[in-house]
Amino acid sequence: MTLRVPRRTIAAFIGPAVAALAIVGVAPLLYALWKSFHDFNLTQLARQRWVGLQNYQTVLTDSDFWDAIGRTALLFVSAVPVQIALGLAIALVLHRPGLTFWKTLTRLSLVLPMATTYAVVGLLAQVMLNQKYGVINQMLGWVGVDAINFIGDPTNAFIAVILWDVWQWTPFVALVLLAGLSTVPPEIEETARLETRSPWTVLRHVQLPFLIPSLVAVLILRTADTLKLFDMVFTMTRGGPGNATEFIAILIERVGNRQFDIGLAAAQSIIMLAITIVLARLYIRLFYREVS
Amino acid sequence: MKLKSHVSALALASASLAGLADAAQAWSLEEAAKPYAGTELEVLFLDRPGYNAAIQMLPDFEAATGIKVNHTTVPYENALGEQVRDFVAGGDLDIALIDLVWIGNFAENGWLVPSETFINNPELADPALDMADFFPLVLDAFGSWNGVNYGLPFDNYSGLLFYNRCMLEAAGFDKPPATWQEVMDTYGPALTKDGKYAYALQSKRNETQSADSFARFLWPFGGSFLNAEFRSNLNSPESQAGLQFRQDLMQFMPEGIVAWDHAETVNALAQGDVAFITEWSAFYSTLKSPETSTIADCLGVAPEPAGPAGRRPALGGFSLAVASQADAAEQAAAWLFIQWVTSAANAGRYLELGGVPARQSAYADPALAEQFTFIPALVESWQEGVPEFRPRFAEWPAITEIVQEYGTRMMLGEISVEEGAREIGTQMEAVLEDAGYYSGAKPLAQ
Repeated sequence: MTLRVPRRTIAAFIGPAVAALAIVGVAPLLYALWKSFHDFNLTQLARQRWVGLQNYQTVLTDSDFWDAIGRTALLFVSAVPVQIALGLAIALVLHRPGLTFWKTLTRLSLVLPMATTYAVVGLLAQVMLNQKYGVINQMLGWVGVDAINFIGDPTNAFIAVILWDVWQWTPFVALVLLAGLSTVPPEIEETARLETRSPWTVLRHVQLPFLIPSLVAVLILRTADTLKLFDMVFTMTRGGPGNATEFIAILIERVGNRQFDIGLAAAQSIIMLAITIVLARLYIRLFYREVS
Repeated sequence: MKLKSHVSALALASASLAGLADAAQAWSLEEAAKPYAGTELEVLFLDRPGYNAAIQMLPDFEAATGIKVNHTTVPYENALGEQVRDFVAGGDLDIALIDLVWIGNFAENGWLVPSETFINNPELADPALDMADFFPLVLDAFGSWNGVNYGLPFDNYSGLLFYNRCMLEAAGFDKPPATWQEVMDTYGPALTKDGKYAYALQSKRNETQSADSFARFLWPFGGSFLNAEFRSNLNSPESQAGLQFRQDLMQFMPEGIVAWDHAETVNALAQGDVAFITEWSAFYSTLKSPETSTIADCLGVAPEPAGPAGRRPALGGFSLAVASQADAAEQAAAWLFIQWVTSAANAGRYLELGGVPARQSAYADPALAEQFTFIPALVESWQEGVPEFRPRFAEWPAITEIVQEYGTRMMLGEISVEEGAREIGTQMEAVLEDAGYYSGAKPLAQ
């Protein structure tokens, strides 16, 4: 028997969500799209005009934009594999039976880095990594390592951002993969453990297929997070020194909020949106597999 | 800029008002504010000593006038964006807080009301206003654009040399360096040892890089951002000499100086890690207080060292102006507040509370100069500054970003001084071209 639900009831349930999405998501997006076709600088409102695709042409031929994309990609390929490796290791440990109290405590503590405001994470980094007064250099000094110029050296600053990103987001990956591991039917896992003593074989042939959806979710979310990574870097290095940590979101903020060139920043944002959508589709097409 | 004629005109206007003896006797803040009692004003403040001083003074103003001043404290880096968005959107701000490099932007967009509007209104203008009492350089640089005054100087700075007298004496110096060449040849080598450094130059990639670091070594060496035709002057021999000097001076600065902002620099002097810094006068109270400084008893203050072209110290500060988006009552109330908080009558109290007034009369008292040892250096600096230390036109927000990027990369050695200057120049001229300076659409005002 099929139950016919009146269209008005469906609309009443879906309507508020659609309206909210339209107001907070679609409308600003359309406005940004519209502005991306304009010369629209907040400090020169008198001369705003339609410029067609000129802003897109400027962005696509701007070496600063592509350098920032390159830096963002480098951050992604440096940080995310580490996060997945560490996250998987933590998830596998927490997935083992026993030590319930400690595992619960660990799960709770894993939430802390994620729950910390991004900007605060960056400020913490700025203080903790201070060359002279920072606690990290003080601890390195205890084991005879000279103080490292973390924030003032371009390479070190980039590495520091990677490490901080790994610290903040490895727990997220661990929790998602732990949830993925819980979808493995216990009888299949137990049978596999009876047939082999190699944890690697169990992981490779039994657990990993069930983890694919979680890994794809992690890849999509971490890609989006990396592309929009702003608060932590802004408070930690402000894109410097030089432009060593000027990732794409920092560049867009600089153009839009500090140079007030809203038209150009809108074009950059729309291009970033397109890149994000393409990457998400690619992940799903290349990696996503239903468990059979 | 028509500095002299502009100041004279304002001085005449206020003097003519002052001459109206009857009006002078009749005018009082309480009476002037009566029609506006209950008005609420919105203004942005920064978390700096001058604003904290004003906040402590506010209850007196509010009690006398019934006007409520609602202040929101924001970080400096957010203050421009917050105000631009508010003015574009027709928001709530009734008073504009104007850094000297924002004045062209705010004035050209029509977001400010010229102060003459109020000075010429006997009901609002305090007969004791005395515009000529403001340091002319400061009044012009902080509050005036293209010959018109909009803002009254409120939070006023000059770059000063703060030094650790004890450290200098231990190294055999009985006075601070008078020239940059002395810093390079004598003070730098003698004071950079045992983990201590002679000098720290705040150079973080934000306005600090362009204002405190880059520009500081242009002007004393005879350089500048732009020449008379508004073309880049950064590759002139003088500008190059200054920028190369900064590069060479880094051997006497702590490692990682490109990541240092004001806090790190002031702290380094306060902790006795560097012998001297060039910082804004507003940091005097931080360095002088034993609660925040270990060298309070050893603190010395002098004008910035001179270069081949003279002293030309860093110039910075904020004025307050009435926002044009405010309604008539709010504009009147806003003027009364601005006039009151920057008045000669309140300058002494403002100074006592940690602010730095721009009233010449406030510094005439020798007792004050003894109490606040930065005063003689400050007064001397305000005689020798240049209003366009950083160009004040509307395009500065775009240009400062270029300077910040390439200025930092120069210091890091990623590009040579010459290449960096050329790149800044090319991009700076593109911004100015786009704005219409070369086509004659905009006057060459900075």
